[in-house]
Amino acid sequence: MALLEVRQLTKVFGTTQAVKNITFSIEEGRCMTLLGPNGAGKTTTLRMLSGLLTPSGGSIRFAGVAQGEDIRKLIGYLPQYPVFYNWMTGVEYLVYVGQLSLMSKKAAQNRAIAMLSRVGLADAARRKIGGYSGGMRQRLGLAQAMMHNPKLVILDEPVSALDPIGRREVLDMMRDIKQETTILFSTHVLPDAEEISDDLLIMNGGQIVVAGSMSSVMEQYRQPIIRLRGETSLDIWLPSFTALEGVESVIGNGEYAELQVTDLTQGRLALIKLIADMDIPIRKLEVAELSLEDIFMKAVQA
Amino acid sequence: MRQWIVMYNKEMLEMWRSFKWLWVPLVFILLGIMQPVTTYYLPQILERAGGLPEGAVIEIPLPTGAQVMAEVVSQYSTMGILILVLAGMAIVAGEKQSRSIGLILVRPVPHATFITAKWAGLVTLTISSLLLGCLAGWYYTELLFDHVNVGHLMSGVLVYGFWLIFVITILVLMSTLLRGNSAVAFVTVLIAVSVSVLTGVFERWMLWSPARLTHHTSSLLVNGATGEGFLLSMGVTFMMIIAILMAAVLALKRQELGD
Repeated sequence: MALLEVRQLTKVFGTTQAVKNITFSIEEGRCMTLLGPNGAGKTTTLRMLSGLLTPSGGSIRFAGVAQGEDIRKLIGYLPQYPVFYNWMTGVEYLVYVGQLSLMSKKAAQNRAIAMLSRVGLADAARRKIGGYSGGMRQRLGLAQAMMHNPKLVILDEPVSALDPIGRREVLDMMRDIKQETTILFSTHVLPDAEEISDDLLIMNGGQIVVAGSMSSVMEQYRQPIIRLRGETSLDIWLPSFTALEGVESVIGNGEYAELQVTDLTQGRLALIKLIADMDIPIRKLEVAELSLEDIFMKAVQA
Repeated sequence: MRQWIVMYNKEMLEMWRSFKWLWVPLVFILLGIMQPVTTYYLPQILERAGGLPEGAVIEIPLPTGAQVMAEVVSQYSTMGILILVLAGMAIVAGEKQSRSIGLILVRPVPHATFITAKWAGLVTLTISSLLLGCLAGWYYTELLFDHVNVGHLMSGVLVYGFWLIFVITILVLMSTLLRGNSAVAFVTVLIAVSVSVLTGVFERWMLWSPARLTHHTSSLLVNGATGEGFLLSMGVTFMMIIAILMAAVLALKRQELGD
């Protein structure tokens, strides 16, 4: 059952159309990644879903919620650069926002303490947020997004600003959150998307260019490639590679060359013959498939 | 309603942690004490300051206690308003600048709750400071001058409080509309001064003006009765406070905030 259904969602700022007629839905219990280059409309979309921006057109429907009803209580949101009240302590902040999400004081206090220890901030709970590091703020951000047991957690680039250790921690926490609720997060770190998400949405220029489950997208775009590495530069042979039967495109870079082939068996055979005939000094020949990064580049440049 | 109380308490705690609960009442108390003390000791101060020719006689008639209290209140119309504006200019603008408002407005909080809880926090600070300042001034006036009717004093403070609340409400609206703190302070003071000056100049046609409340306050203190058009200007002030608050809520709603 779809938890959230978005139809023909549009946002216009002045004369620029930031989001153009996008339609998609999120299934309950899934983790969806929103991928896209800078300026693709990811943040605008997430901000409309979280209720911070009013859509110029289209509809956002939450399962079991009547049209026009406040959906904010069902959503937890973490912006790209979360800002808290620096004069509050971590636990005070969580209790405050919990109460704003209509929790009782007692429930908010219990939940705040549980959430803080879950995100590893138990020791810093009674310290002022003003003294928190970037990684600690991001973890507090996750805790505040989860405070009121939301049905959907929206995270805008949760790992972009973090160092590798902080990134690892946040990803582990997201995996933990995934057990409890539905996640929609945007990122431009592709391996992260591949690692934890079930569904994929690629946006470019305000539109959705690729959508589907991670495995179906990989399946759909599955295309064999052959990577070559020569002992010297392969540049002079690139035209011969391109001319081979079954080779779609060739990208060359000094000693390296990458061939996208339509038929692996045929392409590989032709290539190996060519290498033998022309005595090309090859160090390595590898058969691979398009990575998410390749799919992303292809979708975005198309 | 529970959300409103939670937000109001947060405002109080914030004003406490940023020492506003210390320095705003303190300034009001100092202003309240200074007026009777300097008025009483003016001849001595002038004498000590020197620069007067030998044998000059200064004769300043001692004002009544009520007159001194009226002077105290007029101090609040200048210095007092300035202090309140400084204390409250960032009340909404600050949260917009730091963007901390984003994480609050993703919660199911009505915009009206957000604005009115902040407004009520500032009103509490204003009225408490005014009351403390007037009580301190009254104490010294009783010591140095003659008796001031406490009933008149309290009703005077109440009426004057309405004028200050009017200014605070403009401050909240400006803080919602404008981005920079200095712009908020400047525009609010400009409006307060313009209303006062216009009311003074066109008194006959502006009996309804909120600034007339300062006139009614002195009149209450000195004569024990309000002047002409008191109910009219009270009613207009009350309506304007509500209208300005509604404008602030609308302004917040129409702004697209986030992140």
